[in-house]
Amino acid sequence: MRNILVSVALMAGAAQAATLTVITHDSFDVDKKLVAAFEARTGSKVRFIKGGDAGELLNKLILTRGAPLADVVYGLDNSLLPRARSAGLLEAYKSPALAKVPAQFRLDDAGLLNTVDYGYVALNYDKAYFEQNKLALPKSLEDLAKPEYARLTVVESPATSSTGLAFLLSTVNHLGQDRAMQWWREARANGLRVTRGWSDAYYKDFSRNGGKYPIVLSYASSPAAEVAYSEKPLTASPTANLLLPGSTFLQLEGVGVLKGTKQRALARQFVDFMLSGGVQADFPTRMWVYPAVSGVKLADVWKYAQKPDVTPVKANLLQNPQALVDAWVTQVLRAR
Amino acid sequence: MSGPRRALGWLVAAPALAFLLAFLALPLVRVLREGGVSVGVWADPYFRERLAFTLAQALGTSALAVTIGTPLAYLLSRYAVPGKATFLRALLLPFVTPTLVAALGLLALLGPHGLLGVDLSDTPGLIVLGNLFFNLPVMIRLAYAAFARVPANALNAARTLGASGARAAWTVAAPLALPGILAGATLVFLYSALSFGLPLVLGGERYATLEVEIYTLTAYELRLSEAGALVGGQLLITLLATGAYLWLARTSGAVQATRALPRARRGTAALLYTLLALVAFICFAPLLAVTFGSVRGTDGLTGAFWAGLIAPDADPPLTLLLGNTLRFAGLTLLGALTVGGTHALGAWLARSRTLDLLSLLPLMVSPISLAVGYLLLYPTLRAELPLLIAAYTLLAAPLVTRSLLPALRAVPPRLTEAARTLGSSPLRAWGTVTLPLVLPALRGGGALALATVLGEFAATLVLTRPEWATLSTAMYERLGRPGAQNLGEACALATLLMLLALAAFTALDGGKGEIT
Repeated sequence: MRNILVSVALMAGAAQAATLTVITHDSFDVDKKLVAAFEARTGSKVRFIKGGDAGELLNKLILTRGAPLADVVYGLDNSLLPRARSAGLLEAYKSPALAKVPAQFRLDDAGLLNTVDYGYVALNYDKAYFEQNKLALPKSLEDLAKPEYARLTVVESPATSSTGLAFLLSTVNHLGQDRAMQWWREARANGLRVTRGWSDAYYKDFSRNGGKYPIVLSYASSPAAEVAYSEKPLTASPTANLLLPGSTFLQLEGVGVLKGTKQRALARQFVDFMLSGGVQADFPTRMWVYPAVSGVKLADVWKYAQKPDVTPVKANLLQNPQALVDAWVTQVLRAR
Repeated sequence: MSGPRRALGWLVAAPALAFLLAFLALPLVRVLREGGVSVGVWADPYFRERLAFTLAQALGTSALAVTIGTPLAYLLSRYAVPGKATFLRALLLPFVTPTLVAALGLLALLGPHGLLGVDLSDTPGLIVLGNLFFNLPVMIRLAYAAFARVPANALNAARTLGASGARAAWTVAAPLALPGILAGATLVFLYSALSFGLPLVLGGERYATLEVEIYTLTAYELRLSEAGALVGGQLLITLLATGAYLWLARTSGAVQATRALPRARRGTAALLYTLLALVAFICFAPLLAVTFGSVRGTDGLTGAFWAGLIAPDADPPLTLLLGNTLRFAGLTLLGALTVGGTHALGAWLARSRTLDLLSLLPLMVSPISLAVGYLLLYPTLRAELPLLIAAYTLLAAPLVTRSLLPALRAVPPRLTEAARTLGSSPLRAWGTVTLPLVLPALRGGGALALATVLGEFAATLVLTRPEWATLSTAMYERLGRPGAQNLGEACALATLLMLLALAAFTALDGGKGEIT
């Protein structure tokens, strides 16, 4: 069947190569050679467009659902899927390659999004700071609201950042909504800094990069990236993960076909392509995420990363994350 | 005579007006129609507080910019200062600096481990300094141009009649230069009232401006009706400010030929060089800190970051980044000169305050809302280059109009009349008399427009494509990943952007050092 579709697509493309438009978040990056091979194989032309960070991207898709921006979307994750679903943005397609993705990493049964990769949002800390100040590491979220850890932590805002939202979901999952909001207020009173986005937190406020906060909300793979992107060879990462219970979140990023596509066959092939061996092996050290398909070999530097033991977030919390964000904005951010 | 001239003016401005309609008015209306306007949001004390902060920081920045910028501009226009042209040209650098780089630079100086040993982070102090970093150059350049138009003999007459230098400056030069000073203060107010990037990065959630709230409501929370109400309020404020400015700035002096200027002495010299040092610190020290960041490794100086940029396997290659940056900036410059130039010409010919006001519209509306309007209104153009260039042009054109219009108004009518009497056709009189007189202003406006575009990055504005990567988008991409190498390369890219800007200004300026 697939071969027939391919040859039909090829015949149609004999006159003019079909163009497949793929919309992604800004961090997307893939080896151009792999894309060229896909184009040659399918007789198509792939056009990538970037739509801001994942949250902005979703909003752009919702605003323009009457005239879809693209055929395929990559980069929506498990915290954004509920909104994409209720807006009716995606059309179901389950890639055969999903068979090689372990069950706990699959995004949804209908196949609106096919998991391409996963990662862990986690707190990192500046090792040198804790050594120099002879400070014991905090052991729980509650510790972060205590005086000895005052003004040490910077996190991203759940209202404007996907890592921030992941952290909020994780705290609510761990503490329950009321106690979580209470914790956020206490932590803020204790000098928890809230920034808008990841790069503000990491490059401006994190003590390793000139800021004054030795604990930062980032990813569990960031210590490995620190080694990989070090200015000179390192044998240990200058940062490490601080895996407090209720502070880590498993983020699943997926690819899906947008409703209204005029290139359905090609779009589905692209979904399969994202789950193919070549792309899965190329992704990790470009985007610092784990490949969703099992059995893909990781580069050596990944030994500096950690796979935390994460309690999965309760399904009902993922039903309407926006309501949680609204509650956070009124009860934490705007509360004086 | 005046009837046909008025009609001709509107005719000349018509394409620019059509452009404003297509890329400003219609998109904005489309967004407001999509979401509606929920005026109730103004009842929320939170948003009223944001409004108060927006106004306070804009007024404060304007006041400080006038206090520091005006005396310096005056002294620069009256006294010979070695390297003045270079200084004025370099003043455009903060303009091209992407906000995150400015913030990194300011923090490197005055952050927790700042080179100066003072920590201003988390205080309004750093935001005010950042505001001045971006806006002081605008103030100085516009005030300088205004003072340069003050006739020297008026000042000399005052001095002959016994007035002190300061008194002559205050009673003769200042009133004559008032339109230019007000123009500068108004632009500073408008830029600060609409400021987005700096409070976004430095302000956290405590010092957010209306534009930051509009961005959050639009891009992240998709509450268009509440954003619509904020857009309306913001537009009202900026319209009032601009209306007041146009009403105040009704007169303008004539351009003066460059003369030999005396050197400043004693008290005047002390004041001049103190102010110069202060401005240089505010406007250049953060940039130097960033440049330093591009060669400062964990232990001592390193070339690793620059080497990373030019490495043969760099993706995208530096040549693509440079090529795109130059191509987009060039196309935008062309667009801005056409749109902004014809708009100024039309407003001058028609002597129309309305046309004048309309040219300022792009500075008054929220670019974030416009971007949403483009998405909704132009489905087929959304990821096409012309839309990106149009959006850039929209932001840059007012700067050309603002520079050109005062210069056109200052051309003595008698000169063109003389040319006509001697048998020149209107077109020839324009080409041989008017154009050469306003060319410096056109070049200055072009340089400002170019500066706006070089530092702009399109991601928040319209959908971008990976093959359109520019120096600034590449920089943001690096700042999206951890590691010393990424931060260092981002600093190197920022440095490159500054060098490119400096080269572009020098080329535009024709090496004559005549910048208005």
